[in-house]
Amino acid sequence: MGTTRHPRAYRSRAWVGALLAAGLGHSLVTHAAAKDSDRIAALEQKLDQSLQLIRELSARVHDLEARAPQGTPLAADQRPGAAAAPAGTAAPIPPDTAQRLAKVEQTVTQMAAGAGQHAEEGLATHGFADVGVGNHNAEFPQYRGADVAELDFFLTPRLGSRTRALFELNFEVGSDGNVGVDLERAQVGYQFADSATVWLGRFHTPYGYYNTAFHHGQQIATSLRRPRFIEFEDHGGIMPAHTVGAWLTGAERVGDQKVTYDVYIGNSQRITGGKLDMNNAGNTHGSTIVGGNLGLLLSGALDGLKVGVDVFQTRIEDEDQAPAYVTQVRSYGAYAAYDTDSWEDIAEFHVFNNRDLTGHTGTHRSDAGFLQMGYRAGRYTPYARYERGAFQQSDDYFASQATGSSYYRTALGLRFDVDLVSALKLELAQTHLTDRVIGSYDEALLQYAIRF
Amino acid sequence: MHTSYGQYSSALRSPPRRVLIALLLVVALPGVRITPACASATGLAELPRAWLDDRGQPFDLRTLQGHPVVLTMAYATCHRVCPMTMRRLQQMQRDFDRRGNSAEFLVIGYDPDRDDAAAWHQYRETRHLTRSNWHFLIGPRAAVEQTARQLGFEFWKYDEHVMHDTRVLYFDEHGTLLETREAAGYETTLR
Repeated sequence: MGTTRHPRAYRSRAWVGALLAAGLGHSLVTHAAAKDSDRIAALEQKLDQSLQLIRELSARVHDLEARAPQGTPLAADQRPGAAAAPAGTAAPIPPDTAQRLAKVEQTVTQMAAGAGQHAEEGLATHGFADVGVGNHNAEFPQYRGADVAELDFFLTPRLGSRTRALFELNFEVGSDGNVGVDLERAQVGYQFADSATVWLGRFHTPYGYYNTAFHHGQQIATSLRRPRFIEFEDHGGIMPAHTVGAWLTGAERVGDQKVTYDVYIGNSQRITGGKLDMNNAGNTHGSTIVGGNLGLLLSGALDGLKVGVDVFQTRIEDEDQAPAYVTQVRSYGAYAAYDTDSWEDIAEFHVFNNRDLTGHTGTHRSDAGFLQMGYRAGRYTPYARYERGAFQQSDDYFASQATGSSYYRTALGLRFDVDLVSALKLELAQTHLTDRVIGSYDEALLQYAIRF
Repeated sequence: MHTSYGQYSSALRSPPRRVLIALLLVVALPGVRITPACASATGLAELPRAWLDDRGQPFDLRTLQGHPVVLTMAYATCHRVCPMTMRRLQQMQRDFDRRGNSAEFLVIGYDPDRDDAAAWHQYRETRHLTRSNWHFLIGPRAAVEQTARQLGFEFWKYDEHVMHDTRVLYFDEHGTLLETREAAGYETTLR
């Protein structure tokens, strides 16, 4: 391969550094809160001492009052506007002590409020994890047995009322069986209104329904895994699941219905090492991916039904060939999702009209789609899925991807919600590979997925 | 199997890197902030008062004075956890009816950005939760977050999903918090 690649290890170190910084930030916040607690304790001690002093002074004043001649005013009673102390109550506090006491009380209150605020600010950390076992690995079928799939940290720092940030840092097992780290999403955005948010950074490309309805956390997904063709790029997906760029998204109510929209532009992706890469650092030729998604959430008798269409166009360089082979990828999609308390049914279909810009072999048409039906019965959700990808192997975009062969897969599964934060999923699947290699394999998979 | 699956290069796959990862976790984990799932408020009077109901009309929590109140939080597109909570509330409603008692049921929306009055109105209609003593409330995000903190509802958003629990709180007619219950039946806490 004649291209120059930056070692991923360098990027990985950058992620490691970033997370270390984040972790240290966490620790600093925690440390600051602990420091405040110490200061509060010290101030409370001072307050106790002041109260003790007040008690002693009060006792002394009482003593003096008892000795003083009747009718002799006390200094404290001479303050303008001060009400006379009722008989039997404690003597007034000397002005300097009162001032000191007020200051201490004020400081304690401020510190307590500050400590509470610290506790609420900072970096809320949540995430997902899943492990599994099966006669194949759910993502990399060359492996069998037990597997660790991923540990996914989801970070959403609070930045203000309109500024948004979202980071998803994933520790995942790759095709070589080792653990890797990937900053799956890194988005910073501004919410102009409920109906419009602009994000910059790396986000899940808003095509179809599944890619933005479900992300890396498997615990929230009904099924054990994503449909194969919309898997993430390093797990066998053949569509650009991530885009680095800008994304305008929002929803607007139109009557009883709701219209959702997405418009995005970003770095066009490339193919390297037999898989798609989203060009985190930018690309060398300045080409872009441009796309949009328009959805309609219905109401009334069709409440829970969302239908939509999407389109994107990008220019993909296959860097595994020298010189790089370039394909203009154009995808049109349509989807419908019926999501209610009982049913979760999803259908998604994509057509690819890809034009060969290097070999001039013309335009190649491919398509892929899936239909998934699930029924929620309390803690149990049985589901079935059929998916199919028919990819022209004369199209370099698919031919150059390691998992770009045509296939179809049928699957039956069962999700069991162990509790609110964990789910067990069982899936039986049969996958048929239909062109590059002819064959099939059966899978029996079990997954335990949690959130925290 | 006849398949060659190809090899994918990936970051940090070599064993020494794992040490870094482990180190990383050790450093990062002390900063993880877990929201305690306990109520700091002892009464309705301590909560933000101004809300909107599912007709878009102002709703003041003070108007509930003199009535027992059952309170929970939910979001309209939740199809896994909130239905359990709603079933629990309906069961409580049936229990009240059977005993000849009454109570006001409050459902406060977790996600005001997505769940507006129309969404909650639709929610009520499709689930037949239309009794007049049930109130689905929408508030500013700050009020929602404050209420959740005060009442011990732990939640976080994962894109359009809201991760949350199934707490149901019971206040007496003076607005004093009497009982916290998990609708999923995992836990019950009596104050």
